[in-house]
Amino acid sequence: MTAANRRFEAEVLPHLDAAYNLARWLTHNDEDAQDVVQEAVMRALRYFGSFRGGNGRPWLLQIVRHTCFAWLKENRPGEIVALEDNDDAEHVPAPAGDEPHTAAARNDERVQINQALAALPIAFREVLVLRELEDLSYKEIAAIADVPVGTVMSRLARARALMRQALTPESRPALRAVVRPLPNGTQS
Amino acid sequence: MNTPATDIRQLNAFVDGELDLAAQLELEARLKDDAALRAQVERLRNLREAVRSRADYHAAPDALRRRIGAMVAAQTAERTPAAAAVRPAAAEPASGVKAVLERWFAWRPLVPALGLAAAAIFATNLLLLPARQDERIEQEVIASHVRATLAQRMIDVESSDHHTVKPWLSSRLDFSPPVYEPADSASALLGGRVDYVDGRAVAALVYRHKGHVVESYVWPASQSRASVKFAEEKGFHLAHWARGGMAHWVISDLNPAEFSALIAQLSSSD
Repeated sequence: MTAANRRFEAEVLPHLDAAYNLARWLTHNDEDAQDVVQEAVMRALRYFGSFRGGNGRPWLLQIVRHTCFAWLKENRPGEIVALEDNDDAEHVPAPAGDEPHTAAARNDERVQINQALAALPIAFREVLVLRELEDLSYKEIAAIADVPVGTVMSRLARARALMRQALTPESRPALRAVVRPLPNGTQS
Repeated sequence: MNTPATDIRQLNAFVDGELDLAAQLELEARLKDDAALRAQVERLRNLREAVRSRADYHAAPDALRRRIGAMVAAQTAERTPAAAAVRPAAAEPASGVKAVLERWFAWRPLVPALGLAAAAIFATNLLLLPARQDERIEQEVIASHVRATLAQRMIDVESSDHHTVKPWLSSRLDFSPPVYEPADSASALLGGRVDYVDGRAVAALVYRHKGHVVESYVWPASQSRASVKFAEEKGFHLAHWARGGMAHWVISDLNPAEFSALIAQLSSSD
């Protein structure tokens, strides 16, 4: 076994769970996530020469994220919407997908949170997953998502505001109004 | 209430422990007078906790793990002469036992890799947790120290006698902190106060050492014993260790040599 391969196995392969978790949250789907992770690890193996040491997790996650977005662009271009990272609340896209609070889910916080997170637009979902589930620093997230730290900050703030709104629809947050279509059939 | 967007970003960074010390102190001061802001922080914390504890973490399925392990091993095999020697034999039709053995040997390079991967995951998790915790406590200790210095309110019980300081602290805390009384004239115990670090009330002991203020924070630790670790941040020197079931964090602006000499004394005294 070559030294480089041994290093790869020791420093990159331990982060397969993190890689899969990110891919799974970005693709919403087990099989696609597996494909993406396998592809990403192949790339990682190829680029391992450029790994400068240090923490293998953000390094691998950066490749996974890149592979994910390439895959989504190819297979589900609708997922990737251009985001304007300004602080104007009006530009926050509404959570896509199903309304997160069906009657069955109402009592199950876990289901609610998973659905709310899954429904976030991808740019917000990825920063929140990297922050809360991977516990990465703003700097590491900025490197992985390829945006400035300031953008990570606004996206995280926005992601949490959207989460809170999805989780507490009745008590309109005093935080700020985020534009979001009313549920079908509701009059304003 | 309408909070400006920059404030919301700040509040998020505050909850994430990503503010620098100056901004952290400023925000903490504002939080004291602003109940609405406090409520916002509380809501952010709750959400953060809820997502962390409730959202699914998708671990890599075993099938994927095996596939990737095989993939990496295959890459390795291509480059190793030993593996090349096995291959022609595998090409021949092999008897049952031989085939099983060969299959086992073909998979064998994976076994240490998978074992290593599992061990490394375990180890990184184990290693990262306390490191992050130390970092957070370090920030809190610096913040407490700076606040006390700025507010000129370091001492609630003023005495150089540990027989006065220790009972005073014990009566206000749910533990009895060891109080070190300096033996030489270079340093003196000034007194103590109760402070709040790592989510609990702690004893803060204040010393003067060669003209510099030295603060020692003490509280019951989860570890009964840990060796001394040093850190330096924003011009302060910090050292922490655990002994006799107590966590000790010491902070001062002494120079490094004198600081480590003092720590050597403190950490072996109680």
